[in-house]
Amino acid sequence: MDESKLTGRLYDIQGFSVQDGPGVRTTAFLKGCPLRCPWCHSPESQEFYPQLSWIGLRCQGVELCKSRCMKACPKGAIELGSIREDPVKGDKVQMVHVKRDLCDNCGKCADVCYPAALYMCGKDYTVDELVRRLLQDKAFYETSGGGVTISGGEALSQPEFTLEVLKRLKAEGIHTALDTTGYASWQTVEKVLPYVDLFLYDLKHMDSEKHKAVIGVPNEPILDNAKKLAAAGAKLQVRIPVIPMFNNDEANIRKTAEFCKSLGDAVVSVQLLPYHNLGVMKYLRISDKPVAEATPPTDAFMEKLKGIMSEYGLHVTIH
Amino acid sequence: MYQLKPIPARVAAIREKYRTTKPKIDINRYRLVTEFYMDNPGLTGILKRAKTLRLLFEKMPVLINEDEVIVGWQGASYRCCALYPETSFNWFMQELRSGNIPNRSVDPYDIDPEDEKYLLETGDYWDKNSMSAMTDEYMPEGLKDLVGNMVIFFGLKNNCQSPVGHFCGNFWTATRKGFGAIAREAREHMKELEEKGIFGDSIYAYNFYRAVAIVSEGIIIWSKRYAAEAARLAELESRPERKKELLEMADTLNWIMENPCRNFHDALQCIYLYQLALCMDGQQHGTSYGRVDQYLGEYLDRDLAEGVITEEYAQELMDLFYLKVAECNKVWSEGATKSAPGYTSGQLMTMGGIHKDGTDATNRVTYMMLQSAGRLVLHDPPQALRIHKGTPAELWEAAIATTRIAGGVPSFENDDVIIPALMKRGVSLEDARNYCVVGCVEPLACGCEWAQPGGTGTESYMNLLNCLLLAINDGKNPFRFPGAPEPQRSAPATGYLYEMKSMEEVLAAYKTQVDFFCKWQCSCINAWESMSAFHMNLPMLSATMEGCMESGRDVQCGGAKYNSTGNSCIALGNVADALNVIDYVCFREKLATTRELYDAVMNNWEGSEELRQIINGRVPRFGNADPEADKYMNFTASTYANAINRATGPRGNRFSAGCYPVTANVLFGAMTWASPDGRKTGEPLSDGISPVQGMDKNGPISTIHSILSFDQTEYPNGTLCNMKFHPTALRGEDGTMKLKSVMQTFFNGGGMELQLNIISSDTLRDAQTHPENYKDLVVRVAGFSAYFVEVFKASQDDLIRRTEMGL
Repeated sequence: MDESKLTGRLYDIQGFSVQDGPGVRTTAFLKGCPLRCPWCHSPESQEFYPQLSWIGLRCQGVELCKSRCMKACPKGAIELGSIREDPVKGDKVQMVHVKRDLCDNCGKCADVCYPAALYMCGKDYTVDELVRRLLQDKAFYETSGGGVTISGGEALSQPEFTLEVLKRLKAEGIHTALDTTGYASWQTVEKVLPYVDLFLYDLKHMDSEKHKAVIGVPNEPILDNAKKLAAAGAKLQVRIPVIPMFNNDEANIRKTAEFCKSLGDAVVSVQLLPYHNLGVMKYLRISDKPVAEATPPTDAFMEKLKGIMSEYGLHVTIH
Repeated sequence: MYQLKPIPARVAAIREKYRTTKPKIDINRYRLVTEFYMDNPGLTGILKRAKTLRLLFEKMPVLINEDEVIVGWQGASYRCCALYPETSFNWFMQELRSGNIPNRSVDPYDIDPEDEKYLLETGDYWDKNSMSAMTDEYMPEGLKDLVGNMVIFFGLKNNCQSPVGHFCGNFWTATRKGFGAIAREAREHMKELEEKGIFGDSIYAYNFYRAVAIVSEGIIIWSKRYAAEAARLAELESRPERKKELLEMADTLNWIMENPCRNFHDALQCIYLYQLALCMDGQQHGTSYGRVDQYLGEYLDRDLAEGVITEEYAQELMDLFYLKVAECNKVWSEGATKSAPGYTSGQLMTMGGIHKDGTDATNRVTYMMLQSAGRLVLHDPPQALRIHKGTPAELWEAAIATTRIAGGVPSFENDDVIIPALMKRGVSLEDARNYCVVGCVEPLACGCEWAQPGGTGTESYMNLLNCLLLAINDGKNPFRFPGAPEPQRSAPATGYLYEMKSMEEVLAAYKTQVDFFCKWQCSCINAWESMSAFHMNLPMLSATMEGCMESGRDVQCGGAKYNSTGNSCIALGNVADALNVIDYVCFREKLATTRELYDAVMNNWEGSEELRQIINGRVPRFGNADPEADKYMNFTASTYANAINRATGPRGNRFSAGCYPVTANVLFGAMTWASPDGRKTGEPLSDGISPVQGMDKNGPISTIHSILSFDQTEYPNGTLCNMKFHPTALRGEDGTMKLKSVMQTFFNGGGMELQLNIISSDTLRDAQTHPENYKDLVVRVAGFSAYFVEVFKASQDDLIRRTEMGL
């Protein structure tokens, strides 16, 4: 197989990515994930297929565009929606609304929505195309000690593509990070291992039952892969999303800390990521379903958790 | 971690006074100048200017406010502003008569009824006696055929109404040599010429030396008048500490100006007073301080070593100095104010960089300057930090921390691009290494170059988007004010877009317009210069400027060691996008015919909304690392720079291209017709070398790639690049380092200048709604920073739009 013709599906590429590993990075976000975390702040990353997305702020109103999207839709899935008032100019804009039960993500409306209020989320790249795009920012990686982060979704759910991109980046001398849920077969993880400088490795809950009940999958494969990675000499930056009423109790935090400690030198740092509700509005881009929303933890609470985990001799940061 | 030290109580009190005092008009300067001009109608040339300034030195009120240590003022009350009628005044009289000045939306000024009466009685004298009126007479005849082009802003009347004093004196000479020695030298030259016989053209040198002697002796008198005032206040003072301080001030003021400075306090007072004299003589706007840390560093090191000053007291003096400079302001016409709001006088200070030998020049004072700017949260005076490969990490950190506190202060200047750019216009390596930045972003060789970077003020800007509109509309500008007659041809007839068969023809038409208007722009500036050289000499500046005393010529007559004339363009981004749109839509993808696109633009997109949306949504734009779009930025940038850089001026000088709009991009946009880049009539133009607002959709890294697609060393008059970062992007332990590395990459790739706003659009929106809670919110508007709440609404909106791109 000609690897350069291999394609992967992405939902975003972000330059000046400063939260996903050391230095200034460019992050490629791959689409599709086997997990269903209710707090997920990138809901558009979950499904593997391209999805019709909708950003109301970009909608210029049906008066201006003569309802092109409504006319283009073969299913009659687009209707008049709410009215938005521009806070700067003060004028009113009649927006549209997507009837999700009728929409089959064909994208015909997005083709004619030039301001991209309606757009298809999910774009296929060949390895060549993606690598060329990522190398464009090389000068920034070099001055900052940064590099490329492959994120998701779950990048290991597109294993051949991810492997090939990582190989090519390493051949160019780029620092690579893989942001992963860890939910993949060990064979898959093992293959990318030589081409990943740093794993950004999520740990969500130490109790497999609770893990499965809330996220939809058990945690054993995740914990096993973490142990095997540690044994194989990989470097892990463990990321723990701190979710109210799920994993933020002291017992779970202590168990997580113990687990991190058991991985030894492999864990270079532990990042506590406080839950935030900025993702809530992103759900509305792809769905009408109401989303559970929680109150973000306070700074003091986060400091407390940091204190607990630090007791285990771990280097802990918040954010 | 970089930290700000607490502000001493008296500094805090003066700062509060500064923020709460509404500036008022002071007519002391106006009255003295007007009476002198009226009494001496026959006196012209350099002696007129020298004697006017001498009179000001002798007669202006001397004002020492409560708790001040660094002193000197150009009026009789705190934060008042002087008037400069000899440059232009009819705009002021119009606003005064309409009652606009105390009530206008931006930078209103109070005025005493008595003073207003005097102004109304005398102000019309300047109608025919100001520089502006005389410049009108001397404008080239052919200009009458270009009326309405709106690429250049020279016209038949009211030229040069907002002149700017964009220059920098030689403060090393002022502090190290003193004006006693300069006056003696001038008198020796005169004596020598008198003995030999003032033959040939040596009469001009003789007149020049005579003027220098008059003003140099004048500034010594002025300083001694302040010394006497300090001594008088010391007599009346009951607090022993303040009494002692006043006596020390008297000692300093008695000594400096006449003699070389002895210590840090002397030097600080000397540069302040000399700068104030330059402002009082020339046009104070943008008169810049140059390399302040380099003037002061040695004095401070010596004082600290000898134990005659503490670091704390030195920092307090620095604070008081900054507040004194911040206090300076100048009333502009309401229109001009919109392009530079916030009671700013733009006295830019430069810090950091390298010495003439190439080694790092950072010193203790560099940090003290950042400390004052940061802890006082001042938008004015503006600060420029020179960056080079060896800039200490500690200085980077202090500067980024400061820019987070005091939005956009300092701006960052890249030695590695600016030094070669200056050398391209003939400055030696050593002198280029000693550059400073004046006005907004304009570099020049500090203390030895008369670079005229701001030109005449408003007229120094060229609106390149109108070149494009003229190019595709057979030389007629489609814009007209409501009720104005049908537009006439005001430029070469280059045909209509719908007659053009290829992109090459479009580019050729555009280039014809740019070449044509750059020629006219420089011709008009030269006409103004021919008048300046006679009517607006600057002997006070020439007294220290390297080259003038040696050559016996004023700076306005080419006396400085180096000469150049600056220029600035606006709308590079719009033109680049418009050209790319024409190519993409009409020639490459054939989405519309040239006729359709032409009609859409000429109808301000009415009836062509779909095409406009396609253009805004689907055509690649400059700012997103798209090679096709960036290619047109390169073309646009080099077409203008080549045309400007080859022009020459009467001082044997070259012109030099620049690109910094201040906020003129908003103002000029309001008077620019719709354009092929999807822009509607009246919308703002792009800012500096940045992409069109809202069109950089791929984040700061892609924007930087695009901006680096043209050669910035072709812009020796400076470029302006505003970048917004959302505060969340920079949080965390290493946020500062990450931002630094982005800036370093920009500089390594050939970026010249960068200024940052680290602020969220939510904050700005809230500030618009609740200005009372954001009195101290400083934002970088363009070439300068301002208090956000004092910026006019359209600029606020522009800033919000740009900020949102960072999200």
